[in-house]
Amino acid sequence: MLREKAWIPYAFLAPALLGLLLFRFAPILIALGGSLFSQSIRGDTLFVGLKNYHELFEDPAFWAVIRTTLVFNLIINPFQILCALGLALLARRPTRFVEIFRASFLLPMTVSIALTSIIWSIMLDPTLGPVNGFLRWIGAPAQPFFRSADQALGTLIMVATWKGAGYWMVFLLAGLLAIPEQLNESAAIDGATAWQRFRYVTLPLMKRPLAFVLVADTAANFLLFAPVYIVTNGGPAGATHLLMFEAYQSAFAYLNHGRSLAISSIILAIVIAIALMELRLFRQPEEAER
Amino acid sequence: MNRPRPLPTLLRYATMSLIAAILLTPIYWLIISSFRPADEIFRFAGTFSLETLVPRRLTLDNYAQIFASSFPRSLFNSLFVAAATVALGVFVNSMAGFAFAVFDFPLKTPLFIAVLLSFMMPFETIVIPLYTLMRTLNWTDTYAALILPEVAGGLIIFLFRQFFAGIPKEIYEAARIDGASWWQIYLRMTLPLSGPTIATASLMMFIHQWDAFFWPLVATSSADLAVVQVAIARNMTLEQANWGALFASASTAVLVAAVPFFLLQRYYVRTVVSGGDK
Amino acid sequence: MSFTRRTVLKSGAAAGAALAMPAIARAQQTNLKVVWMGWPDNQVLPLFAEFEKRNPSIKLAVERMPFSQIFQALEVRLNARSGDPDIFIVDSPLTASYAARGHLMELDSLIDKSRFAPSAIEAASFQGKIYSAPFGSSMQVLYYNKGMFRAAGIEPPSADPAKRWTWEQVLEAGRKLARPADNIWGFSFEQQERPYQLLPLGQSLGGVALSPDGLKATGFIDGPAFVEAFGFMQKLYTEAKISPPGQFDTALTPELFGSGKCAMLLGGTFVADTFFNKFPNLEFGVAPHPYFAKGKPVTPTGAWHFGVNPRTTQKAAVNQFVTDMLSDDINALWFKLRPYVPTLNAVWTKEAKTFDTDMWRIVKHESQITAVPRPATPGFREYEDILRVTLRDLQAGGDVKAALSAAAQKIDREIAKYKG
Repeated sequence: MLREKAWIPYAFLAPALLGLLLFRFAPILIALGGSLFSQSIRGDTLFVGLKNYHELFEDPAFWAVIRTTLVFNLIINPFQILCALGLALLARRPTRFVEIFRASFLLPMTVSIALTSIIWSIMLDPTLGPVNGFLRWIGAPAQPFFRSADQALGTLIMVATWKGAGYWMVFLLAGLLAIPEQLNESAAIDGATAWQRFRYVTLPLMKRPLAFVLVADTAANFLLFAPVYIVTNGGPAGATHLLMFEAYQSAFAYLNHGRSLAISSIILAIVIAIALMELRLFRQPEEAER
Repeated sequence: MNRPRPLPTLLRYATMSLIAAILLTPIYWLIISSFRPADEIFRFAGTFSLETLVPRRLTLDNYAQIFASSFPRSLFNSLFVAAATVALGVFVNSMAGFAFAVFDFPLKTPLFIAVLLSFMMPFETIVIPLYTLMRTLNWTDTYAALILPEVAGGLIIFLFRQFFAGIPKEIYEAARIDGASWWQIYLRMTLPLSGPTIATASLMMFIHQWDAFFWPLVATSSADLAVVQVAIARNMTLEQANWGALFASASTAVLVAAVPFFLLQRYYVRTVVSGGDK
Repeated sequence: MSFTRRTVLKSGAAAGAALAMPAIARAQQTNLKVVWMGWPDNQVLPLFAEFEKRNPSIKLAVERMPFSQIFQALEVRLNARSGDPDIFIVDSPLTASYAARGHLMELDSLIDKSRFAPSAIEAASFQGKIYSAPFGSSMQVLYYNKGMFRAAGIEPPSADPAKRWTWEQVLEAGRKLARPADNIWGFSFEQQERPYQLLPLGQSLGGVALSPDGLKATGFIDGPAFVEAFGFMQKLYTEAKISPPGQFDTALTPELFGSGKCAMLLGGTFVADTFFNKFPNLEFGVAPHPYFAKGKPVTPTGAWHFGVNPRTTQKAAVNQFVTDMLSDDINALWFKLRPYVPTLNAVWTKEAKTFDTDMWRIVKHESQITAVPRPATPGFREYEDILRVTLRDLQAGGDVKAALSAAAQKIDREIAKYKG
């Protein structure tokens, strides 16, 4: 790392930090503080300390929500990143028509999350959905998808991945393109198999992009709730009741802002803890030395 | 370049075609439905036949309807807001990312963690204090309320930092010895070497603003400032849904948002100087 | 700019001049911010244009918010506790919720109760005072597909409220009409999960949906009437298989009926418009809301009201707005733009010709005799949301009593905050 006149790094940081301070850090601090208050129905606030947290931790339903959220994230994060990495490797070499394939992998991310939810809710609808129409046509039984406690979480993961895979591919593609082709070629000349080249040449050079995608994807999936709000309402039987949905419901359906802010603070704590672990896991060797 | 071998190449194209087909089917259905007359949108959906994929009758009514409404204005609003955010955001965030990637300075780690935290807090949680702040600044119901809060983004700073860190420090040291200022290095070396990164960051910011829905709804009230997602959502009410207009406006939004991708594709080429170049 | 004595004197004089001006000239400054539902421009703008024409001194800045997030966006705005917006649209059962939290101005002095349907005044009231302006109501009727009834050889239900079908008759006919394997259904609710549409089933059997003080659900929503009624509802999906399971999109059930995939639909008056506009070839008839043979007919009611933000700084203008919007002719204009069931008695006579159809005759009868508003509680938002999820889950099966008791406990926990 380079050491320079002390003010230089801060000069580069200043515009961004000013924006973040005003529009993110200040509201976040207010929100964190708000989780220690309870609001009367008339809007007066009363300091209650950790009461909001205490009530959450004593509620078995809340632990069920935590469990669902962790299961969801343990599956969706690795799954999305593997899909994205697969797509990036497929679309890496600029051979003929690859631009068209890249574009079609990307197109789902131009569909907003609300529209994604509406479209897939229709596609997978038990009665009017084309997917079930197709299943009936080939003689297979129609599937409930979002409407069964067994399939709902899996369906949610597939739908989120439909939109997400191409999105995360972009970052990995940018990372792959920064790896010089000669490295791969010389390894091939040395007799390395495709897997060995991927494992010992590509992967080590992909640490930074992968770390980014892992952290960003974790945050995105912990904060995901639009399909739950629009399609499943947390059901059936709580199968898709995610933490973020609970925070949203607490604020806008149960009008309990203290509880909602406490849940959001818990989400924040979980995500930053996971992110720091992920960053440590993907740390560059030279960074680890320090 | 490796000489392409026929079998793996065929396999690769077959896989890509299959994935593209799966990914594009719902979008195809969305777009094709936007050309169907109202009584046929769901008529062939629940039971599969040729008509499920190929409409019997086509109509432009749905498009005539949305383009006669305030939809074009909201399309412009979203394009303007997204473009302005990208233009400002690329500089603001890449400068911050550059600082985190290149320099060592006191408070670096706490500041970096704060940057990470900024994109991990649910937006719905900070929307009330943010709205109060906007009212205090008297910025509600302006383009500024839509653009400025989204210019500095923790995720984008993090992205720039990760990718800038891959550029070898030696080239900076050489430039310093030649008397270049850090501003010159950032502007003339780092940015030109980071085509795919800048393109990616721009896409992220563009899509983020293109998808924006809840904040614009809260922060602006004039009809002239309505954004595209709000205009699309108005086609659904509790009592009725105008599916034709919904699908037509959604298709338009999807296709317009795809334009920047096609434009930025040409930046997805191998960069000349990069990571393991020694 | 420096404040010299002269500028102070000057601005003082200007202020004096402003005060001396006649009231009307000063009122030219008045702007009202109105948050309205995101209905199409041509159904909304003429209404406000008419108001502005009558009140040239008041300018309305109307914002059409989409249904999907209007409650949440309003919640953020109102939470800032400023005078923005001055007027906002209110879902009638949320009147008590907004009023209890100090977001609605009391309107008693502006509203002559005798001009309105009693159920509309009831839906607009909280603790004996009127807090929302009853601007429009709703009603559900039973639509049936004439062709499907003919093909199955079933005599369709009568349009006469005295000869209305029982739920048992609906079930019996549904069994003959439905072919679930072919995706053809006998009966569907328009809003398959919403308390608005489903509470009347239990009320038909004498159930009371919430304690009279609006603060206790246990012993009410999980009482025998609702257990039996929702057990019947469950049967439609699980055992009899005459209703499409998992179809919770209120905008898709009319499509199901319109495209000939469902023989009966219990839906609102707007559904008829959907059929006329989108499905010109559909042959359908209208009958009154069913009831249980051993119970009494009960129908849902209530819809969009509007309210005034008590923190508004434009008291005179908002009073004018409330008075004018509830005048006979502007309310009749609203009915023409968007035909909600009228709340004003005068509109029924003013538009007598429009109401000379089977559907509107049924609607008029029900509105006057069988309509029961949703429970008046400041916790309606909590109540509705919890019950919705439970009703969804019940349609897939499970113990009705246990599910309703669990929901009741959860409701009680959430609405406890409104006590005392």
